[in-house]
Amino acid sequence: MIDVIGVSKKFKRYHDKATTLKERLLMLRSSKSDTFLALENINLHIDQGETVGLIGHNGSGKSTLLKLITKIIYPTEGKITTKGRVSSLLELGAGFHPDFTGRENIYINASIFGLSKKEIDKKLDSIIAFSELEGFIDSPIRTYSSGMYIRLAFAVAVHVEPQILLMDEILAVGDANFQKKCINKIKEFKKQGITIVFVSHNMEDVYQICDRVVWLDHGHIKAIGNTKEIGEQYLAAMAQNEGDN
Amino acid sequence: MKRFFVELYAYREMLKSLVRKDLKTRYKGSFLGFLWTFINPLMQLAIYALIFPYLMRVDEKNYAMFLFVALLPWLFFSTSLQTSTDCIVENYNLVKKIYFPRQVLPLSVATGGLVNYIYGLVIVLIGLIVAGIPLTWNILFLPLLLLILYMTVSGFCLMFSAMNVYIRDLEHIDNIVTMAWFYATPIVYPLTMLPDWLQKILLLNPMTPLVQGFRNVIYYGMAPHWGEIGIAAIEAVVIFTLGVLIFNKLEPGFAEEI
Repeated sequence: MIDVIGVSKKFKRYHDKATTLKERLLMLRSSKSDTFLALENINLHIDQGETVGLIGHNGSGKSTLLKLITKIIYPTEGKITTKGRVSSLLELGAGFHPDFTGRENIYINASIFGLSKKEIDKKLDSIIAFSELEGFIDSPIRTYSSGMYIRLAFAVAVHVEPQILLMDEILAVGDANFQKKCINKIKEFKKQGITIVFVSHNMEDVYQICDRVVWLDHGHIKAIGNTKEIGEQYLAAMAQNEGDN
Repeated sequence: MKRFFVELYAYREMLKSLVRKDLKTRYKGSFLGFLWTFINPLMQLAIYALIFPYLMRVDEKNYAMFLFVALLPWLFFSTSLQTSTDCIVENYNLVKKIYFPRQVLPLSVATGGLVNYIYGLVIVLIGLIVAGIPLTWNILFLPLLLLILYMTVSGFCLMFSAMNVYIRDLEHIDNIVTMAWFYATPIVYPLTMLPDWLQKILLLNPMTPLVQGFRNVIYYGMAPHWGEIGIAAIEAVVIFTLGVLIFNKLEPGFAEEI
């Protein structure tokens, strides 16, 4: 369950930011800044087990909203409450060290997602199987291709077993086969009743998995509702924009 | 405050794996590898032990060991401080992209320092045997002293890592402060060498009673001076609490400020 109540997020945009003491004291650099309203008065309720797609043009505030839900950043106004372990797939392969083996990196990466050693031990085989890297799991990952790297990272991420899963455009990686596997995994999550918030520019993916979509436009919610309906409105608006330019 | 510890406990495996990763990678690629953990303090010891007897009159039979048992806890303190200061800025890619309790980062530095200190004890032990200095039961007070030191170090690591996100000068200020601090702590000299009034001032420095304590239990084989250790313990609690409070206060802005 995710409850977003009256949330606004302002970012300070510095023109020339003072980061050292000297600059701060002597005001060598103007700390002039204007504020940029990334999100304004967002109200959104997502039920347990729902899969919601976030769509919108670049800079519409999708990623900001995800970051707020994960508590990487905090709202300027309003409140966000979540129930259950939140896992965000905003970044794959966090903490991976090139000199460590695939196996060692699974432990590092999974621990950053908050798993205990016991939990990781239990899931290790399943993670390795999902990544299809059985033959390479004890080689340092600097020897991996970028595809193998992503596969390993994704395999860990989907084994975190969150109650709320946030995903930001990560299906754009991997080959068609692997993408299909990921979609299947997401559908499996849906069956298990995991709440999913999904950001994507690929409307095909959104149609396939989302129960509902939220269309963000310049920090406001432009529309919420039926996936197909709003997806089409959105695509039409995008096409028109392109025509205007 | 409570959340700080609850979340830390939930992410204890991350803390462990960061410490392990740091210890394993610190000397990766170097020829002597892990041995550097021992060579570094040994070389520092050799240099100080050669130079200081010339600079001042110290009536210690075994100056090298006298110095070493105090130098090791000091190195734990000063290296942790310097490493932790930029640990949040350095890990910006994690901080900006993933949620995890941020206190794990500075605390993993402090914990890594602690583990390194414990490795260093192996050399202390060898040194004591070579120098013919007997161990006594008072060595059993060592874990207590280490706990107080660990708390002090953790508190400072939390403070400095958080403040450095906002004021990057700290990395440089750190170096100067620790250098002055080194001489304000009776490491290369015995405290008794100083005039009374100065001794009293130096005892306010949380590192003074601790370094004295380490020296007492390992080198002199005596019990620690409980009055001094009591002060150090109170200071440790204050520093640690302050560290947690400052960290909690500054933490929400990390991802935006970096």
